[in-house]
Amino acid sequence: MKTLSLSALLVGATLGVTAFGPAALADTSGKRIALSNNYAGNSWRQAMLKSWDKNGKAAVAAGIVAAADPFTTSENQVTEQAAQIQNMILQGYDAIVVNAASPDALNGAVKEACDAGITVVSFDGIVTEPCAWRIAVNFKQMGKEQLIYLADKVPAGGNLLEIRGLAGVFVDDEISAGIHEGAKENSQFKIVGSVHGDWAQDVSQKAVAGILPSLPEIAAVVTQGGDGYGAAQAFKAAGRPTPLIIMGNRQDELQWWKEQKDANGYETMSVSIAPGVSTLAFWVAQQVLDGAEVPKDLTVPFLRVDQHDLEEKLGGTEKGGVANIEYSLEDAKKSNLGHVGPRNYFRLARNFVILP
Amino acid sequence: MTHSALMKLSEKPWLWAFIGATCVWIATIIFTGGQGAGEILSAALSFGTFSVIVGIGQMYVITLGPGNVDLSIPATMTFAGVVSMKIIDSQNSMILTGLLIALACGAAVGVFNYGLIRLLRIPPIIATLSSSFLVQSSAIAYGRGLKIKPPPLLADFSTTKILGVPLLAICVMPLAAFMGLVLHRTVYGKSVLAIGQNPRAAKLAGVRVDFIRFATYVLSAVLAGFCGYVLSGFSGGASLNMGAEYLLASIAVVVIGGTSVAGGYSNLPGLWGASLFMFLLVTMLNTFGLSAGVRLILTGAIIVGVIVLAGGRKN
Repeated sequence: MKTLSLSALLVGATLGVTAFGPAALADTSGKRIALSNNYAGNSWRQAMLKSWDKNGKAAVAAGIVAAADPFTTSENQVTEQAAQIQNMILQGYDAIVVNAASPDALNGAVKEACDAGITVVSFDGIVTEPCAWRIAVNFKQMGKEQLIYLADKVPAGGNLLEIRGLAGVFVDDEISAGIHEGAKENSQFKIVGSVHGDWAQDVSQKAVAGILPSLPEIAAVVTQGGDGYGAAQAFKAAGRPTPLIIMGNRQDELQWWKEQKDANGYETMSVSIAPGVSTLAFWVAQQVLDGAEVPKDLTVPFLRVDQHDLEEKLGGTEKGGVANIEYSLEDAKKSNLGHVGPRNYFRLARNFVILP
Repeated sequence: MTHSALMKLSEKPWLWAFIGATCVWIATIIFTGGQGAGEILSAALSFGTFSVIVGIGQMYVITLGPGNVDLSIPATMTFAGVVSMKIIDSQNSMILTGLLIALACGAAVGVFNYGLIRLLRIPPIIATLSSSFLVQSSAIAYGRGLKIKPPPLLADFSTTKILGVPLLAICVMPLAAFMGLVLHRTVYGKSVLAIGQNPRAAKLAGVRVDFIRFATYVLSAVLAGFCGYVLSGFSGGASLNMGAEYLLASIAVVVIGGTSVAGGYSNLPGLWGASLFMFLLVTMLNTFGLSAGVRLILTGAIIVGVIVLAGGRKN
């Protein structure tokens, strides 16, 4: 509780809101927040739900909110999620936090919720409906960052293999656009092959194994997360030298990287969105309910792992999980203002995690 | 005459899958200038083997006649993979136990599926789809996204290649041949075919329809469990979405392989041709560097084309 009020004060200071002490916290103690989630079938989503659960339960126990109930649709269908949101409206939730199956197809349901006086906060899979809050990652920059790293690490350049995500999804287009933009700016790199790995290790392994025999020597593999380990397996199976593979913060990827690092000094970097972003969405919803002014569009920096802090971050990552940080509101505020870089941000977040 | 006509019926369809696979493979190596021809085939055989394993089960189910299909294959694979990998916990000594557990997981799902179909009288499509939600959720609840490495011996077994031919494919070939024999040479296999052609006639002829259907759904689920087990070994552990692409794949290889969707006529060799074809097709389109949209349209169009050709021969 001590850290809590300290953080709350910090938030208050950052926001410029006066009288933002323990008294303000009581305002939301009767409020109920629901999470509408469209998919749970991979390690990132599992970590995301776990963060929500931990954070939400602690918040309820501390009397900050009355409920923080997570709901996941079974089939990753827009219609199903729209119905789910409508149910939440009927159940009388005060705020709905959404990881949406589609950026625009849920707008109708979201508008209904807003009209019913419900606060809607979308994250990761954001919605375009103007009445909702959006917590997005600059996915384009996440792609570009990889090329910036490569330009520094492999100045001579070379051939790149690109592993994309799920075709037709906004996130996939954005990251890929960033990668291609980066490759254009660093013309010593040439993307010689591109496959869709659906952010899954086994799909990536299959796709890479298929295209690999037809490719010339590969200097590096640019990825979107959840695909690096599969790519490494495919290179190994084909008996080709392992190139520099950008990783995506999954524990199996970081573990593999660590093994290679110990064996032969292998160097790479890893970047992805932290699943704990769900907790940030939670706090944004709580703050909005509390009457605070929060901008509609927030940008979260991605979480990056480098050679020097690999051990630290791998150590803090659960087996089979994803490198994670649980967010607190002040971090998001600062990152939104652009004052905090990803690395400092990580340290900051570790120092100021509101609820252990 | 009738005999040779029947031979034509049962032999021709699988040829098309192999012809398709060969054409696609040649198109790919022309594009690459001959580079990697052998490696592409080797990779196709590696990944095709998994489609064949689940394809055999799906083929038996589809052969039972209209409306029979097993949509719980991906969930069963995931469930068996997750449970067996967690229990094995990367120990070589547990490999056999793990295999038995994976098969038992499959058998349990199969029994459950047929329970829904027979006792609750739910159509197979809906029964297996809804049971797949239960099974997938159990896998999520049990595994929680944990990726546990397979024991080194299993990983080696499933990735080793002998002169470019995957060891797993070498092991699955006799299994496939055996299942082909079972289908055409045993009472059980003949019963499956008979039910597919006319369930009423089969029943009147004394075929134990219920028991045969039960055994077939269990067989399909057991093979899915086996596939989940070896796939976990192959791809460095079980993941929650490992089965996802085998829903369409298991049905596609059966249909492209020349098995009648209406049931009653099966084609086991066609499964191999179709599995290679499906992998090589994606590889070809990836190699050409086409955009995702064009790739998906072409995949759909080519699959329809092959099915029409294979189906056209049958009439």
